[in-house]
Amino acid sequence: MTHDITIPFYQYILEGGNGLTPKEDVLYATRQDALARFRSLGLPDLKTEAWRYTNIQRTLKEQPFILQQQPLPVTASQVAPAAIADLPCYRAVLVNGHLQPELSDLPEIKDITISKLSEASQQAGFKAHFDKHPHLADQPFAALNTALFADGLYIELKKNAILDKPLHIVHVYTLSQHAFLQPRHLFIVHPHASGAIIESSVGLHDGVVAFVNSVSEVILEENAELWHYNLQNTVQDSRHVTHTAILQQAYSRYHHHNFALPQANLIRNNLSVALKGSYTETDLHGLTLVTEQQHVDNHTFVDHLVPHCNSNELYKGVLLDNANSVFTGRIHVHQDAQKTNAFQQNNNLLLSEKANINSQPQLEIYADDVKCSHGFTVGQFSEESLFYLRSRGIGQEAAKTLLVNAFAFDITDQVHIPALQHYLTEEILRYVTRN
Amino acid sequence: MLTIKNLHAEVDGKAILKGIDLEIRKGEVHAIMGPNGSGKSSLASVLAGRENYTVTQGEVNFDGKELLELSPEDRAREGVFLAFQYPVEIPGVSNLNFLKTALNEIRAYKGLPALEAKEFLKLTKEKQQLVDFNANLMNRSLNEGFSGGEKKRNEIFQLAMLDPKLGILDETDSGLDIDALRIVANGVNKLRGPEKSFLLITHYQRLLDYIIPDFVHVLYNGRIVKTGTKELALELEEKGYDWLREAEVHV
Amino acid sequence: MRNSNEIIDDIANKEYEFGFTTDIEMDIAPAGLNEEIIRFISAKKEEPEWLLEWRLKGYQAFKKMQLPSWQHFPMPAIDFQAVSYYAAPKKKKQLASLDEVDPELLATFEKLGIPLNEQKALSGVAVDAVFDSVSVATTFKGKLKEMGVIFCSFGEAVREHPDLVKKYLGSVVPHSDNIFAALNAAVFSDGSFVYIPKGVRCPMELSTYFRINAQNTGQFERTLIIADDNSYVSYLEGCTAPMRDENQLHAAVVELVALDHAEIKYSTVQNWYPGDKDGKGGIYNFVTKRGICKGNSSKISWTQVETGSAITWKYPSVILQGDDAQGEFYSVAVVRNKQIADTGTKIYHLGRNTRSRIISKGISAGQGDNTYRGLVQVGPRAHNARNFTQCDSLLIGNRCGAHTFPYIESRNKSATVEHEATTSKIGEDQIFYLNQRGIDTEKAVALIVNGYAKEVLNQLPMEFAVEAQKLLSITLEGSVG
Repeated sequence: MTHDITIPFYQYILEGGNGLTPKEDVLYATRQDALARFRSLGLPDLKTEAWRYTNIQRTLKEQPFILQQQPLPVTASQVAPAAIADLPCYRAVLVNGHLQPELSDLPEIKDITISKLSEASQQAGFKAHFDKHPHLADQPFAALNTALFADGLYIELKKNAILDKPLHIVHVYTLSQHAFLQPRHLFIVHPHASGAIIESSVGLHDGVVAFVNSVSEVILEENAELWHYNLQNTVQDSRHVTHTAILQQAYSRYHHHNFALPQANLIRNNLSVALKGSYTETDLHGLTLVTEQQHVDNHTFVDHLVPHCNSNELYKGVLLDNANSVFTGRIHVHQDAQKTNAFQQNNNLLLSEKANINSQPQLEIYADDVKCSHGFTVGQFSEESLFYLRSRGIGQEAAKTLLVNAFAFDITDQVHIPALQHYLTEEILRYVTRN
Repeated sequence: MLTIKNLHAEVDGKAILKGIDLEIRKGEVHAIMGPNGSGKSSLASVLAGRENYTVTQGEVNFDGKELLELSPEDRAREGVFLAFQYPVEIPGVSNLNFLKTALNEIRAYKGLPALEAKEFLKLTKEKQQLVDFNANLMNRSLNEGFSGGEKKRNEIFQLAMLDPKLGILDETDSGLDIDALRIVANGVNKLRGPEKSFLLITHYQRLLDYIIPDFVHVLYNGRIVKTGTKELALELEEKGYDWLREAEVHV
Repeated sequence: MRNSNEIIDDIANKEYEFGFTTDIEMDIAPAGLNEEIIRFISAKKEEPEWLLEWRLKGYQAFKKMQLPSWQHFPMPAIDFQAVSYYAAPKKKKQLASLDEVDPELLATFEKLGIPLNEQKALSGVAVDAVFDSVSVATTFKGKLKEMGVIFCSFGEAVREHPDLVKKYLGSVVPHSDNIFAALNAAVFSDGSFVYIPKGVRCPMELSTYFRINAQNTGQFERTLIIADDNSYVSYLEGCTAPMRDENQLHAAVVELVALDHAEIKYSTVQNWYPGDKDGKGGIYNFVTKRGICKGNSSKISWTQVETGSAITWKYPSVILQGDDAQGEFYSVAVVRNKQIADTGTKIYHLGRNTRSRIISKGISAGQGDNTYRGLVQVGPRAHNARNFTQCDSLLIGNRCGAHTFPYIESRNKSATVEHEATTSKIGEDQIFYLNQRGIDTEKAVALIVNGYAKEVLNQLPMEFAVEAQKLLSITLEGSVG
């Protein structure tokens, strides 16, 4: 659907976008196509069903953004705060989307490739999968990213390759003026390969705004397994629109854990999984802990295309202050996808008079021999539990903290890396007690 | 009453029953024992007409009718009752309404008028007492939220209500504690009579302490490999089924 | 606190809009919608000036409105200018006896257990002297009049009770609410009007009378029900008997107003022509139904059994404005062949301690497509608001669809909102179990389906519940096996 775009930014993107790609770029045609797609899709507004609770145009109208910002010098000590204590891991540091090998500690394992996406365009994996995910086709921000992205990360785990330690991807943003950044990543896990990646961010832009529009495509071939942790914290003055599009082949297992924590002003996550092979497992877990004026919008989509797949989704939200949380979880079971098990649950704690929650758990089912359910709750602490704790001598505030932790436990408990689990529990505690 | 001749059946192309011969006369109680996977429950399913079983050979005569040619509901109407190993739950359908429907369908088949509400309730009460069935369960949804024991007792209660010629009890004893087992067995014993036959399918001998069978058959690898009396059950309890491997060779 | 007009305007602006366009072949002339036609309709009905103005405002709103794009089914197209907006209500051909009635229709009546005289009334056979509908109606009317209950056609209400109509018309569903409500406002044909005075408990279901007089209700009906303080009324709309109608588009509006401690129970059984097996023909049932619990401790309850129409697109809603007010929505929607139902409710919690309960049971068979779409909104003032929603879908066969799209918006921390949804199919093991007890597959399905829908059917007035139960079984005949 095309809307009349009156905001100057839209024109600016279209014009700027045209000029940004040199004709000799190998992706010139792809980028031109994407720009045309963006033009026909238009910028979503509140009348766009998928964006009815997130006013993205308002955010884009705020100030003029530049479309590309070359990385400014960054030192190791500036990246250090992102470290997760006691976590043995590899590290890939990206500044404004550009991989910085000198700040990174990359694995040197045969059959594992970690490189700049811009250097991977001749790889077979890139050719086979780049910009091919079916769910990206109708997403205006994904089209924009394809048209404008400068660089990102390319990870390929070849057949049978095992990443022996988690890879911590640190996204550093450093800006001299308001910028609209488009990092682009492609992760390919070949048959029987497995690994874990943790993504987190550091913001070094002072007084200017980073609008990050990132796209990650994740391919899991047969019997591949990936643990994917996404920590969205520590970046002030930032707005994030993310697309994480996963494609799973038979017997593959994908575990996604999203932690949307305080600081970023606006987060819109589009997480979508296309199940192309049978007997897969998909776990989507999310904790949204939002404070102040934060707005977090989690949009998830699980597309059951074939029989015998299992998906399990649990998103929990804790809302404080004037925070806004949106959850849209869509499960689509196609006619051929018999014997599907698909479950989805969204539970929320609303702890402030001024916080808002909007939720749309959606089931779309065309196969009859399936087990599907979704559930939603919003409420506050059980008075009974609170009273019980207090009657045992625990102060009201301490009791509340305890209960928030208990509420979040379902999500943190699913984190399979002990040091990361510990780190996240502490982070949650820190934000809750501060309030 | 029931004559099974050379019955072969398969599921998904895999042979499960490989030539069963069995004759049950009026008023007799037969027990079929055998290790897991020997085909005991399959035999019950084939007799009741479960769809995923394909009969490849043989015939089953029930009171002069070719049983295998009948639909599951017509077999039931002719008087074959299967007490399920895992009775299904049907939310929203009350036990009472279900039984009334079933009873009147069977009566209609026999050319009898539907029971008046009063007669039906009288019969219900009578049979509840007979098999010691908790009246509180009558208005609940069919088997929904019933304990394992309650479900099995409900099967026996239905058996009493529908008054079949042949009752097939498919591992009705499994998962029951000794008290529940006793109640179920007592129910069956009260229903025994010269016109009614039973086929007990069980893995354990203990049921047969309470319901004394006229014959005991051992099913092994899709065939009846041994037939005897109550004593055979005791022997099986003692020796297990392994020695039957040998017996099978001799058959 | 904001006044209710602002609240309603607010809601109206956010309202889902209904829309569609398709070529309808109409055999009635003159077709087309313009100011002249609206003036003509109003003049024919000898309406007062204020009502004409209101119609014209509706028309102005309609002209500005766009067709929406959010619905979950392929949009049929309709050319509004091809529709004839004024035709004298078509009298059904009077038949001399039931022998002249389509035997298929009679068989259905028989299965539903509809009394002979009603069968005649419904199929357009002249009613014989034994059953004098006029006198029955008169008896009822007399009794109601005694109690001060007003129950009449909309046209009569405009003439006899203009102050009440003027006060409440469009107060719940404004003329600019959505494209179909606007269309209805501009061209509505007639409908029903009910007023229950203070402290009166309406002694009968407003249905028996209505059922017999339900013919020729037209495609743009308008119903307005007002329950004054401490009153109660149960209103029944529709009929289990199949309703054949040549008009493809039905865009009715229903407005309910419950004042302090008043209760309105509104039940619908809808069994309009669903089209043939390939989805050709059939009614588009696009109704705007909304009630407001204006008074404290008031209650509005919608119950619907939807088995007919090619497309059913409606969301009976409740605005819980008064403190301690309650809203309920109970629905069974069945689709088969190529039928489409996109239905649900919207509950707006505005007052304190407001409670709502939503039970939706969708049944999809054949190539039918069934969608539950519902909104639960809790406003900042709605302290201790409670909602419980249960949405179940039952699938019969593997070419149908069942979808659940709830929208939950909470702005109050003391509110509790719960939503649960499940999808299941009629299990082969359930059918086999019932078969083994001597019950054939057809009956087994009926048993299971009625058990599944019981919670909703129980909300219907007794006599109707029995018919509705049969209706479900008949609708699903031949869907399994």
